[in-house]
Amino acid sequence: MTLRWEVVATWLALLAAATAAWGVAAATLPLPDYYLPPPTAVLATLGDLIAKGILPTYVAESLRRILQAAVLGLAVGVPAGLLLGMSRRAAEFFYPLLNFFQSVSGIAWLPLMLVWFGFGERTILIAVNYTVLFPVIFNALLGVRSVPRLYVDALRTLGASRWRIARDVLVPGALPSIVTGMRLGLAYGWRALIAAEMLVGAHGLGFMIFNAQNFHLTARIMLGMGIIGVLWVVLDYFLLRPLEEATIARWGIVQR
Amino acid sequence: MNRLGAPLRGVLPFVALVAAWTLVTQTGLVSALFLPPPVDVARTAWELARDGSLWINILASLGRVLLGVAASVPLGVGLGVAVALNRRLAPVVEPIVSFFNALSGIAWLPLAITWFGLGWTSVTFIMFNTIFFLVFFNTLVGVRTVPRIFENAVRTMGGSRRHVIFQVLIPGALPSIVTGLRMSIGFGWRALIAAEMIATSTGLGFLIYNAANFHQSDTILVGILTIGLLWLTTDRLVLQPLERRTIERWGLVSTVEP
Repeated sequence: MTLRWEVVATWLALLAAATAAWGVAAATLPLPDYYLPPPTAVLATLGDLIAKGILPTYVAESLRRILQAAVLGLAVGVPAGLLLGMSRRAAEFFYPLLNFFQSVSGIAWLPLMLVWFGFGERTILIAVNYTVLFPVIFNALLGVRSVPRLYVDALRTLGASRWRIARDVLVPGALPSIVTGMRLGLAYGWRALIAAEMLVGAHGLGFMIFNAQNFHLTARIMLGMGIIGVLWVVLDYFLLRPLEEATIARWGIVQR
Repeated sequence: MNRLGAPLRGVLPFVALVAAWTLVTQTGLVSALFLPPPVDVARTAWELARDGSLWINILASLGRVLLGVAASVPLGVGLGVAVALNRRLAPVVEPIVSFFNALSGIAWLPLAITWFGLGWTSVTFIMFNTIFFLVFFNTLVGVRTVPRIFENAVRTMGGSRRHVIFQVLIPGALPSIVTGLRMSIGFGWRALIAAEMIATSTGLGFLIYNAANFHQSDTILVGILTIGLLWLTTDRLVLQPLERRTIERWGLVSTVEP
């Protein structure tokens, strides 16, 4: 993952060229302004929205929601998945159910949540938490089940207690799968959050870009999209992916 | 357990779930307005199936997925291979594509509506963006991780550039491409449901979102179950076997450290 200077320089040159092409296209193409605003308009919108305090508020709202879902996933999803995975019977019983609920995206539940809780913060939070939680539980359960029996038996013959086996074999063995589940869950959750904010409309970046469409504020849409993309790249590239790689390097089981 | 045991154990959890669901609704613990009993949902499903609206919406959603796949996969694979061949360009393009991956799906909707209005074009545009960039990215990474030694081997035996591309790089990248395809359809399916809620008047997403306006919880539940079942069967019967077979046939078990 080494970024060489040569690459960064080419990248910057490419970015400059693309922006210039965009600017020329916006200035010369016979399209209405709201169709393709020039890059300067997007920059001006950035300055304007920061000065008004709208952008910081919306970014904070969206980040707070996804962070809250991540905390719930870690605090509830991981322990639940681990516990269910410890018992073969429980795992066999819950596996098909979890698999089904993980395949129904949180957004599909949104209409039902709207009937239950109305248009509001609670509906958004439930849809996002649902989307994050199920892949996390599912992968934690899978992680425990995929630890080779050999290791469990080895410790047991040495006289280890159930607790000892859970702490020293099952949980560390499940860690790579848990981190993968968190990464997948948050990737789905971030998208579900944007969609839920659009549909329910209570602050946040999804609401910002969707609402801007009603007023043909295309520069604001493009700015919002840029921020949504950058936030996820930063989160994934600098936090989740290194975490996953480090976990697999440290606790990954290589079977021969 | 005997041979009958395995499928039975798969069904049992769902039987238990339906039983619990019946119990909470029959005892009046939850109002039928919010959670109709399974019998009502089954009846609604039957009615929707009989008057054809369920099939029309299923066909509309599946058609959009197929259209998105048909439009974006050939282009994604082609561009991915072309960029990966250029060793100077590839590391530059990779982060750009992963940025568009992060943006994939529903975030394109407001711009799509601005450009194309409500309807098929907007939804197809969103599906294209979601599937294209993921397939592009996975092809790019797949080609780049084929060990150079295979390429050099074909070269020293007199293989042309075309040989290298079609006999080494593309087959070597296939497992990664198929994984990308499976992931992209997963993300695409979710984005589609959300997009249908806003931008169209057909499809399963529209069916359930429209039902919410009339507080028809039974129709919503029919839609949710259909969405889940469709994805599970597609993934289980088509995508997972495809991925497994591709990895078995073309997967590289490298004994050489790259």
